[in-house]
Amino acid sequence: MMENLDDLVNKLARDAVPVKPAPHPYVLSLEWIAAAAAYLAVSLALSGTRPDLAAKFHEPWFVAEICTLLGIFIATTISAALLVFPDLHQKRGVAFAPVAFFVLFLPVILFAWHADSPSAPLPVHSFECTVSITLMALLPSVWTFYAMRKFASTHSRWAGGIALLSAFSIGALWLRLHEINDSITHLILWHYLPMLAIGLIGMWLGKKLLKW
Amino acid sequence: MAEPSLDLEALMRNSQSGNQQTYAALLHETARMLRPYLAKRLNFDSEVDDLLQEILISIHKARHTYDGQRPYKPWAYAIAKFRLQDYLRAHYADHLRHAVDISELENILPGDVTESAISYESISGEVEKLPQKQADILRLLHQDGYTAKEVAEKLGMNESAVKVAAHRAYKVLRSTLER
Repeated sequence: MMENLDDLVNKLARDAVPVKPAPHPYVLSLEWIAAAAAYLAVSLALSGTRPDLAAKFHEPWFVAEICTLLGIFIATTISAALLVFPDLHQKRGVAFAPVAFFVLFLPVILFAWHADSPSAPLPVHSFECTVSITLMALLPSVWTFYAMRKFASTHSRWAGGIALLSAFSIGALWLRLHEINDSITHLILWHYLPMLAIGLIGMWLGKKLLKW
Repeated sequence: MAEPSLDLEALMRNSQSGNQQTYAALLHETARMLRPYLAKRLNFDSEVDDLLQEILISIHKARHTYDGQRPYKPWAYAIAKFRLQDYLRAHYADHLRHAVDISELENILPGDVTESAISYESISGEVEKLPQKQADILRLLHQDGYTAKEVAEKLGMNESAVKVAAHRAYKVLRSTLER
């Protein structure tokens, strides 16, 4: 036994300096979303948007893809903010909302694939897109993990996975709005499937970095 | 007469503003609330005490994640459950590394011991020297032939606690028989 329970309670009580309660997770996620949106806007301003962007916004499946990706980004950010609280701020349903957006994303991509007729040509590059998205996601990942470490997650694996998916979705949005490329096969292979690996890496990182 | 229930949310709000007395009262109440929860899941009082202390330290570290607006109990139980899982995971890993099944005792017995000599009966004397609960578990498992699940039901424990206790008993037996 470490020490007497009463002694420990007295010791902890003596250490009880006033603490400021953490902000509500919705406020926290709003801050993270705003920071990520600013980062995305600056990145697009520096790298430039695709020249046919205005025309692309008249294509329903492109709009659906972007909206769902945006939904994934917002849902994962809110979820990450909830997952840093030990009790998920007693909003378990909301914390697992990204699952619904990922499920929605599948038919959107499938319909976009079906509508891609005749198929857009495959670009000459391949893994470079995954690398670009990952590099773009690096800063938000570091920042999110840094912010999350100030809290006390009891779901560190999930929190890590969701945080990286949130950061990766910013990268995916950026590339989709920047690169002239409409091959759905390429998008699935090099933009979206790597999300699975990113989620797993995030879970591993979460276990390592979100210990408390 | 039933004890008047404390407003844990109010206690926590006061504690967060630096009131040490209220905080001590809250921690005592939290320990009182969590003790039966842990005792149900762990085998020994010493384990319950150790884990309870870890949980109180965790509550102390995480107290800024409580806002005083939502119920306190689910927040405290979430931390308790998290620390309990951590504890069980670490102990399972430790016991699996060191555990030896009763069927493997043959390998560590002196060379002139025949196979028939390592039956449960041959070491029952050593088994009876174990703490009562461990001895009961081994007797039920190896003499009466019950499964861990059935033993758990008989003794009012959960299955994992039975397995942990059995592994502990094997470890003690192993060191005794090696001497």
